[in-house]
Amino acid sequence: MAISDLTTRLQEKFQESILDVSEYNGEVSINVKGLVILEILSFLKSDGFNFLVDLTAVDNLTLGGYDRFAVVYHLLSHENVERIVVKAYVPEEKPSLPSVESLWKSANWQEREVYDLYGIEFEGHPNLIRIMNPDEFEGHPLRKDFPRQGREQRKDFPVVERMTRGKRL
Amino acid sequence: MGLIHDTKSNVLTTTVEAAVNWGRKNSLWPMPFGTACCGIELMAALASRSDIARFGAEAIRFSPRQSDLLVVAGRITIKMMPVLQRIYEQMPEPKWVISMGACASSGGVFDTYSVIQGIDQFIPVDVYVPGCPPRPEGLLDGLMKIQKLIEKETFSDYSKRK
Amino acid sequence: MNPQVTAKSLETEKMVLNFGPSHPATHGTLRVIMELDGETVIKATPEIGFLHSGFEKLGEHLDFNQYVTITDRMNYLSPLCNNVAYALSAEKLMNIDVPKRARYIRILMCELSRIADHLLSIGMLAVDIGAFTVFLYGFRLRENIYDLFEAATGTRLTTSYTRIGGLMRDIPEGFETGVAKVLDEVGKVADEIETLLNRNRIWQKRTKGVGVISKENANSYGITGPAARATGVDWDLRIKEPYSDYDEFNFDVVIGVNGDVFDRYLVRMEEIRQSAKICRQVLDKMPGGEVNIDSDSKFVLPPKEDVYNSIEGLIHHFEQIMPNRGMIPPKGESYVATESPNGELGYYIVSDGSRTPYRVRTRPPSLINYSIFSKIMVGGMISDAVAILGSLNVIAGELDR
Repeated sequence: MAISDLTTRLQEKFQESILDVSEYNGEVSINVKGLVILEILSFLKSDGFNFLVDLTAVDNLTLGGYDRFAVVYHLLSHENVERIVVKAYVPEEKPSLPSVESLWKSANWQEREVYDLYGIEFEGHPNLIRIMNPDEFEGHPLRKDFPRQGREQRKDFPVVERMTRGKRL
Repeated sequence: MGLIHDTKSNVLTTTVEAAVNWGRKNSLWPMPFGTACCGIELMAALASRSDIARFGAEAIRFSPRQSDLLVVAGRITIKMMPVLQRIYEQMPEPKWVISMGACASSGGVFDTYSVIQGIDQFIPVDVYVPGCPPRPEGLLDGLMKIQKLIEKETFSDYSKRK
Repeated sequence: MNPQVTAKSLETEKMVLNFGPSHPATHGTLRVIMELDGETVIKATPEIGFLHSGFEKLGEHLDFNQYVTITDRMNYLSPLCNNVAYALSAEKLMNIDVPKRARYIRILMCELSRIADHLLSIGMLAVDIGAFTVFLYGFRLRENIYDLFEAATGTRLTTSYTRIGGLMRDIPEGFETGVAKVLDEVGKVADEIETLLNRNRIWQKRTKGVGVISKENANSYGITGPAARATGVDWDLRIKEPYSDYDEFNFDVVIGVNGDVFDRYLVRMEEIRQSAKICRQVLDKMPGGEVNIDSDSKFVLPPKEDVYNSIEGLIHHFEQIMPNRGMIPPKGESYVATESPNGELGYYIVSDGSRTPYRVRTRPPSLINYSIFSKIMVGGMISDAVAILGSLNVIAGELDR
């Protein structure tokens, strides 16, 4: 089954929700609006893309794009051995889009990761809490405006003294 | 230690310090706090070829309450630091700490928001082992350095321990 | 004298047990909060992130070749597989086709890494269950493989062997004989381990029927690698989407039936033998030639003889390594998936046309495989947690990044 055939069907079905279809080096990416992602992915799942390989996000602050954040879904069809990339764009203010945890359980932790590192909320996620950073961490480190060395979080600990020898060796 | 050459009486004269230090340095019980790559080289030091048992430190204990040598092997992150401090505090005196590898000693290549840039900012460290990761031989050298530190301890050092 | 014990009178309060992060079976970096009814686990909540070190943030600040060193530290059981996966993705982004010799050496190194990884992961599973000897047997061979890596790359563990456009350097003289010698031992060690474990009653009781993953769950939870193949999923990227030159070699995909800890162990054991088979074929077919693409392409460093002996070579060298010079990738993105010892390891690189990647994402098999833990743990005993953790082979560096 040709990917181009699939993309035409997608465009017919979802029309203006599909922003565009791009291709780089044989890798097809479908750029869509964030709010319809659950419908589009369930359509693709019923169309043979049975495996969610990877779920991540990109901060388009300096790259440019339809919106500030793109949540990137890599799908794989075991049967046809085909891959497709779906990018769902969400705006800078109150970034949120529907969770796809109901389609693939593997989305559960990866959506938490995206929430932790980018601050994008997934509606309908059963347990949307930080996964990588401590609960009290402030900010979302993979956003482009977050400094690489953090905001002094790594200095914020009590010092345990050597309680034994009087002199420091 | 001086051995008196009178085999009939089997007497050994020594100081308390020498005897205690000799015992301590040859029976270190490490608590491996291996988090990353260095943990694998720590395992290599335990395995057949390097065999840390030659230095009397093969009794690996994962309970801090049973061990006297903390080997911090790997990156320590902001989420892990409270755990490490808790473990250090739980270890009974006397205790020593090896900071194994570049990441534990200085953050290494990970100059990022979540990696502690050297655990010695927050807990005391006795010996630093450089390398990314250090070879097992490097760790053994660090262990011997700890043994040398123990050798030098005096009675007044013990009394300072609580 | 015969008290009537009813099920009701045996009801106990639920107990919450904290397991880790400093626990021998969690390898120091995982934490599981288990709700227990007696010794049966009724709910297990894994907590991760104890080794989150900002790999992906770092990727946005290092240039393409510098990031190779970071990929080593991601999966420290098989760093070369990470190097290769990253290089493949970056090369796809830049449309580079590396020479055949480089591709063959990469396959050789990947398969040696797979042997080393499986030996250690089975060894650690065995240590956790109480069979220490297996760890020592496995590690003896692993040390021999380390020696090979050291000969080729200069270090035992953090190899950083690949470069965009080829390899750091060619394999040294006599490397093939060294590999052949190790390969002869692989079969012996695998036999030794299987003799110790396969029919061992304790081993069987601790692993059979424990942590069963069904085929449907494997796909829904995104499980890949040996853990998925143990459930019967016939999926191996080396066959299905042959990257590098895997389609030129003849080997079998190992598939299990039950999806329990025992099957995962068996799959790994057989994969060790299959990897050795691939390595032998690589040695037989090893082509000659360069390991790097032409240095005129501005992607790889010029040969050292040129750098030291001619001004053009020196200029070329500096053009490559100076921070404001170097390779310029096109604007675009690429994702290449490889079959790492743990499952599908992919790198998703987005480039904005500057010298550092805009975004480097790792598709971490450990993270995604571990997410099924809370599902398969329910109904098991506390001791099963140890076996399941060991069999999923969760590598914290890759789990948390």
